[in-house]
Amino acid sequence: MTFPYKGYAGKYLDIDLTKGVVHKKDMEKDWARLFLGGTGISSKILWERTNAKTDPLSPENVLIAGTGPLTGVMFSPSGRMMFAARGPLTGVWAESHVGGFFGPEMKYAGFDFVLFNGRSKKPVYLFMRDGHAELRDATHIWGQETDITTKMIREEHKDPTIETAVIGPAGENGVLYSSITVDFYRAAGRAGLGAVMGSKNVKGLAASGALGLEAYDMDKFLEANEQEMAKLRDPLWKDSLASLRKYGTTDLVAVINEIGRLPTKNHWTGFYEQADDIGPEIIAEKYRIAQEACHGCAVGCKYIIQVKSGDYPTDPVGGPEYETIMAFGSNCLNNDIESIFYLGKRCDLLGLDTISCGKTIGFAMELYEKGILTERDTGGLELSWGNKEAQVELVELIAKREGIGKILANGVRKAAEQIGGDAWKYAVHVKGLEASGQDPRAHQSIGLTYATNVRGADHLRSLSSLEELGYPDIVIERFGEEKADAILDIMSPKYKGQVVWDMEDLYALVDSAVICKYTTMWPPVFYFDTFVNVIPSLTGMEEWSDPRYVRQTAERISHLRRAFNHRLGVTRKEETLPPRLLKEPMPTGPAKGGLPDLDEMLDEYYKYRGCDRETGYPLESKLLDLNLDFVVDELKPLKMIK
Amino acid sequence: MKAILAIEIELCTGCRSCELACSIAHSDSFNPKRSRIQILKDETRNLIVPMVCLQCEKPLCQEACPNGAIMENEQGILFVEKDICIGCLNCVTACIYGGIGMDPVTRKAVKCDLCRGDPACVKACQYGAIKLLSVTEGIHQRKKGVVPAFHILGVQVAEGQE
Ligand code: SF4
Repeated sequence: MTFPYKGYAGKYLDIDLTKGVVHKKDMEKDWARLFLGGTGISSKILWERTNAKTDPLSPENVLIAGTGPLTGVMFSPSGRMMFAARGPLTGVWAESHVGGFFGPEMKYAGFDFVLFNGRSKKPVYLFMRDGHAELRDATHIWGQETDITTKMIREEHKDPTIETAVIGPAGENGVLYSSITVDFYRAAGRAGLGAVMGSKNVKGLAASGALGLEAYDMDKFLEANEQEMAKLRDPLWKDSLASLRKYGTTDLVAVINEIGRLPTKNHWTGFYEQADDIGPEIIAEKYRIAQEACHGCAVGCKYIIQVKSGDYPTDPVGGPEYETIMAFGSNCLNNDIESIFYLGKRCDLLGLDTISCGKTIGFAMELYEKGILTERDTGGLELSWGNKEAQVELVELIAKREGIGKILANGVRKAAEQIGGDAWKYAVHVKGLEASGQDPRAHQSIGLTYATNVRGADHLRSLSSLEELGYPDIVIERFGEEKADAILDIMSPKYKGQVVWDMEDLYALVDSAVICKYTTMWPPVFYFDTFVNVIPSLTGMEEWSDPRYVRQTAERISHLRRAFNHRLGVTRKEETLPPRLLKEPMPTGPAKGGLPDLDEMLDEYYKYRGCDRETGYPLESKLLDLNLDFVVDELKPLKMIK
Repeated sequence: MKAILAIEIELCTGCRSCELACSIAHSDSFNPKRSRIQILKDETRNLIVPMVCLQCEKPLCQEACPNGAIMENEQGILFVEKDICIGCLNCVTACIYGGIGMDPVTRKAVKCDLCRGDPACVKACQYGAIKLLSVTEGIHQRKKGVVPAFHILGVQVAEGQE
């Protein structure tokens, strides 16, 4: 039966790289019904196609490029897509999302998903246009940086409308936190999926399409979309949106430092004295030359910078996000913003995750300070705090896996193992993923988010901005009056298990739809009702007009991703925090003295999630409720359900 | 009164919502490639240029059409009569502003018809970059924004045609 739902392109590509064959297949009805798209559908596919023995960098791993029903249709923001695989940096579930224009273009070219299986004998890239897809020789572009790669692909087809998602030298060289760069300066950064692409000898994906997408009921969908847009125009959000438009995410440098949560000196503290030097005002005044937006986006947080003189001049290029400024800036005590622009740009061109890269360099700087790494190990590089020249050199060495870069290319967890001694104490990660730009000692719930995030220590699977930035009305609306005060107290662990559980489910849909964390995480405008409102008229999936069904779907996705990790050995023991964030009280700044009460929050989280408190394993009854019988069948003999 | 779409190029973020809205209005689908307004981009030079029909006084497209497929509607706005258009591309070549294009699905020429006075792109643009202005105001805006961009892009704009 052909795929019945609208909003989707309706087809996916199942590629056997080893044989060099591209199979075009109809999307499966149950994928959409039960898992929506993006993350959800990827979890189903990866559950089936990988197992506990799948080496992340082997031909057996499957790299998924996925979109959702909202990708490319009229909905703000609709420019997003995602990648997923078993991750090389962490060994567990890995997904990474990205904006720009490639996701929509892939759907306009006719495909919702691409599955890369096997390994190509020679470098190739996937080209998709108007329902056709082929693997093309990429020998001549192998080794090129991401911007040149895109230009060469466009020139080859004489088509400037082609959008791309490509890796740079880092991904080719197997740096474990390689990114996939989309449309020049956006990145599916986290968890090293660029290395998976490189291990398959795939340089990237390119698409241009005029097939378009339909709605099941266009008038009704446009009406629903208008209702959602009206929510966005509510005066309540005016300031947040204005700030995003003026500063992009750089505003967070100031906002986050104010609450003492800005990772500084390899996460030693959460307060950076020089934050103004790398903050929003100076960027907006001196360097910002234009605003940009992803496909169909009403927020428009992207901005363009130019540096005309000095040591790090650059032509107009996408400016760094908060996380990049944090990772190379405060976290390494570098207050020279021009060098941070440069480092961010190099990472995009080389195909490196700026967060993991900056964090790994900060880790190395601390080891150098402590005498665990010396100039003999670094090849003469003086890794003192704030040494921007050393940072610049390290980025190149890491991408090439040369010198000390060979070890640092493995991320902090593996690097600490290789270096030995006390190095592990300074490796700030969960499940092997370097922590992003938050700190649970200043914000309780982010501790739980880091610990339970299926891909490791970052904010994007369940961060709550409700207490971080203070949205009392929303807290009352979602969790009730009685709980509001405790929830709004950023340092209270109370009810944070419920909040994080709720956010994780919300973002499971956000990441499956696939839309952005802006308008869902911050400001917290769209909620479960948004999906109830827009999905049925767009797709024709009737059951999506039932709020209970929508929540259940979210839970199903959350549980399937967790089960994926259980199968690989993850239990409550792994759902924890690095010693620095768990046991060293915040030494300075507004959050001085803070520590997360992780156990209390975890207990509550497991209760809401439907998991066993001792192990974190799911309850059988919960899985059966969610139609995850196939998970029960596999995990029960392994004693991984309760 | 005749009106034209005026673009304020500094406000445009390149989000393509206008293309989406145009394709919905004219082809009942989400398909930017079928849009009558097209956002031209060169990311490496930070160039984002919305290209749309400027409703010229002396329309080169109409002159170039061998079949007379480009005609005026009741409001005096030129549109392409798709049953007459033979898809020869003469109009597309003739228009120096990139204001008329080919619909990749029908293979017929398409140009902006101002949505009969209430353009979908204007409503869709969240950044206020597109406005519907009277010809006099609009021409002024056109000179300010679009023409310099054309120059950067290397499009020759002949004297007197602006
Ligand atoms: S909708 Fe407005 S901002 Fe977006 S591309 Fe069109 S003109 Fe530019």
